[in-house]
Amino acid sequence: MSDAPQWPTARLDEIARFRALAAGVRGAAVTERVVAAPFDDVWAVLSDFEGSFGLIEPDMHRVRVIARDGEHLELLARSRWGFRARLIGVHRPGWFWAQSRFLLLGMAATAAPDGRTRVALTGGIRIPGRAALMPLGVRRAAVGALGRLDRAVG
Amino acid sequence: MTDSSEPALVRRAQAGDTLAMVGLLDRLTPYVGRICGAIALGGGPDAAQETLIAVFRGLRGLTHPEALRGWVRAIAVREAVRVARRDGGVPADLTSVPARGDPQLAADVHDVLRRLSPEHRAILVLRDLEDLDEQTVAAMLEVPKGTVKSRLARARASFRKAWTE
Repeated sequence: MSDAPQWPTARLDEIARFRALAAGVRGAAVTERVVAAPFDDVWAVLSDFEGSFGLIEPDMHRVRVIARDGEHLELLARSRWGFRARLIGVHRPGWFWAQSRFLLLGMAATAAPDGRTRVALTGGIRIPGRAALMPLGVRRAAVGALGRLDRAVG
Repeated sequence: MTDSSEPALVRRAQAGDTLAMVGLLDRLTPYVGRICGAIALGGGPDAAQETLIAVFRGLRGLTHPEALRGWVRAIAVREAVRVARRDGGVPADLTSVPARGDPQLAADVHDVLRRLSPEHRAILVLRDLEDLDEQTVAAMLEVPKGTVKSRLARARASFRKAWTE
């Protein structure tokens, strides 16, 4: 064991990191909810992009995983309005952040001490050339998504 | 191949690429956690989150991407000292640090740091963890260079005594 002093280090959970990141994207409203299910169950539902993810995020009418390299992921999503988006992002336990030219989608989750799971969502239509989203009913959509998630895992 | 250096990530983030922001977040989180943990102690996660929020809100205004770490460090120290002061429960100055041989003093960095004021912890972090010179530390903490010198000498002496016991 080293004799060097071990300086205390602050550790941030994925929700705290998510809030910080979203703070830098204008219009990226973060909606949070504590879901009454363990982290592994919740994250499995949210991470099943070609399956249950579409039930939680019905705007993502059909999603296909077209590439994965470690935590880097590419999805082809078709919205219920018919337009297609090739989302490129980072996916790892408790963290998903992806963007296409016109869309942004972010999810984070962390286990709460009581065995439940805190989940945070953000996303929306990107403003080209800026780290900013258009505020088009994003919070209402996220509240709906978190309600569906709660029912799916509860 | 995409340039994944920090200045390149800053430029891409400033141009609206949120994945570059994720790359910066991944790189900066441990760095910010180290500074905030040592200064704000129990309030470290709060201070680190506030630091990263300020960093991402202000990123567009960073005119010299090469200066990223210094800019982030300054924000982290400011937030950590603010949170530590808000949390209270710190000695007014080093005279309240137990003397060598005091049985209360455990040879544990966290315990030793807890007995210092946030400003003294900041000086120790900037000089001994970040290896900055006294002039830079004085400018960051907005105190005269002589104050940094004397505070540092006292903080180091107490720290080393405690550590080697």
